[in-house]
This record gives sequence, C-alpha cells and structure tokens, in this order.
Amino acid sequence: MSEELEDLTDEMKAAVGQETGRVTYEVTTQGIRTFARSVGYTDMKYYDESVAESAGLPGLPSPPGFLGMPIFNPNADSRGRRALFENPFQRNLNGGTEVEPIEQVYGGDILDAVSRITSLELTQSRLGKMLIQNSETVYTRVSDNKVVAKTRGTGLSY
Amino acid sequence: MADQIYWDDVSEGEEFSLNEPMSSQRLVIWAAASGDFYQIHYDDKFAENNHLPDIIVHGALKGMLVGRLLDEWKGEQGAIKNWGVSYRGMDPARQDLTIWGKVTKKYEEGDEALIDLDVGVAQPDGTQTTPGTATVALPKR
Repeated sequence: MSEELEDLTDEMKAAVGQETGRVTYEVTTQGIRTFARSVGYTDMKYYDESVAESAGLPGLPSPPGFLGMPIFNPNADSRGRRALFENPFQRNLNGGTEVEPIEQVYGGDILDAVSRITSLELTQSRLGKMLIQNSETVYTRVSDNKVVAKTRGTGLSY
Repeated sequence: MADQIYWDDVSEGEEFSLNEPMSSQRLVIWAAASGDFYQIHYDDKFAENNHLPDIIVHGALKGMLVGRLLDEWKGEQGAIKNWGVSYRGMDPARQDLTIWGKVTKKYEEGDEALIDLDVGVAQPDGTQTTPGTATVALPKR
C-alpha cells in the first residue's frame, strides 16, 4: 500500500496540529550522571551535587538536551505516544533533532511533555516513497509551570 | 573548567572541535541514558542481519555531542539558544568521530550578543554525516 499512496490520506491531513501524547518525564540525578558520562562530560557539576551547590546551583544541573526519561509503562509504547493515523510504511529513521533550551533543568524536576505533529509530507526518495513527519514537543516543569525546553524532530518512514 | 570565551574575542570563520572515540561500551551507556535500546546499536549479529557494516552510533548521541561541544565552548556565562542537526548518514561504531563547530555570524540582537554556527560530525576520512546549525549567546567584555 505504501508505494501506491499518491497523497496524504484524510486521516494524515487531520493529524497535523494534533497532540500525539502527553508524557511525564523524570529528571533523576542518576539519569543526569549516566547521560553526562555517555556524552563525555568531565565537568564535575554534572556528577557531584556538592560541586554544583558550591557553584551556586540548587542541585545537579541537567546537561543541554537532557530532559529526563519517560516513566516506563509496560502497557504503552516506549514513549507513551498514540498513533493518529495508520502509517503504511514499515521502516522508520530519525531524520534530525533540534533543541531549544529555555530554563535550566535540575535533578528532581518532573516535566510534562506534550508533542504535536507540525507537518506531514509525502515525497519520493532514493529509498522509495517516504513520509516525512515533523513534530514539536514542549516540556513544562510541573513544580513552577515554566516551559523549560522545546524539541523538534523529523521522522522518516519508508 | 574551560576559560570563559567572550563575544568580543570571537571571529567569523573560527573553528573548534572534539575528537570522540565511539566504542560499543559507550553506545551501551548511551542506550541506558536515552532509553533507545534498538539492537543495531549494540548487537553485532543484529546489525549484520540488517546489512550494516557494524553496529552504528545513535543519531541522538551525535546530536547531544554537538550540545556538549557548544556547552563547553560557551563557558559558564554563555547560553545555548538552540541547536539542531540532520542525520544524513550512518556512523559505524569503533572509530573516532570529530564533533565540530564553525562561527558563521556574529551579531547583537536586543541586549544579547549572539553567535551563529555551523556544526557537524565527521568520520575519520572526512565524511560529514550530521550537518546542523546553532546559536549561542556569549558575554561581552
């Protein structure tokens, strides 16, 4: 069906602008340390709370781009998001990521993440017909209701 | 901790980079940090069965390495306004990757002193797989 698709389906067109899910992210101190380790940070403020506090910070700061992990639910998909349309394509690639840090995030923060599809496009690629989905996620800290970051992503299905 | 860099001292065309080894162990730590447990990133047989030359580096890890490059370059008084990368090619693991930034524009907007950059990730042979852009605010002297 995917190669026969000539245009976006009505269901796909209706999905643009819609929320794909609301997910709770936990920013734990251990999560910050693991992220910092994997990315190669050596600044101790990302590992040692006493170093962070002596630098005047209220806790372990989150390195740029780390917005915690969704609380795992064995009965939902891994990111807790729902499909708004039937996707006829079987293979998926991550096409890109954009991060807009707005407020510093710290260990212990709980973030409410709301994702929305911002555009869908059907195109011909060297891999065959491809659906390009752009989305935006807005992360709000629950304790003070401040938007702390926005991320934008491109998903490629073919 | 790196010395603070100031907007006044930055020139258009200036370049900086990190050289990062990409081992299987590092990709496993990233999988734990990100929750991305897709086997093409750590299971040799799975990667081989998917016709890949080796396990491959997670795209998101490359994006966050660019974030680290900017974080360390801007210093304590700078701020990352945004950055974004496109994943245009796969990077097989077990090789070093160069994470780079190049200043493309220096300007002031409102009360902020800003720097626009091209950023990216390069393989040892120079192949560019992850082009992107960023904007960083730096303190003035």
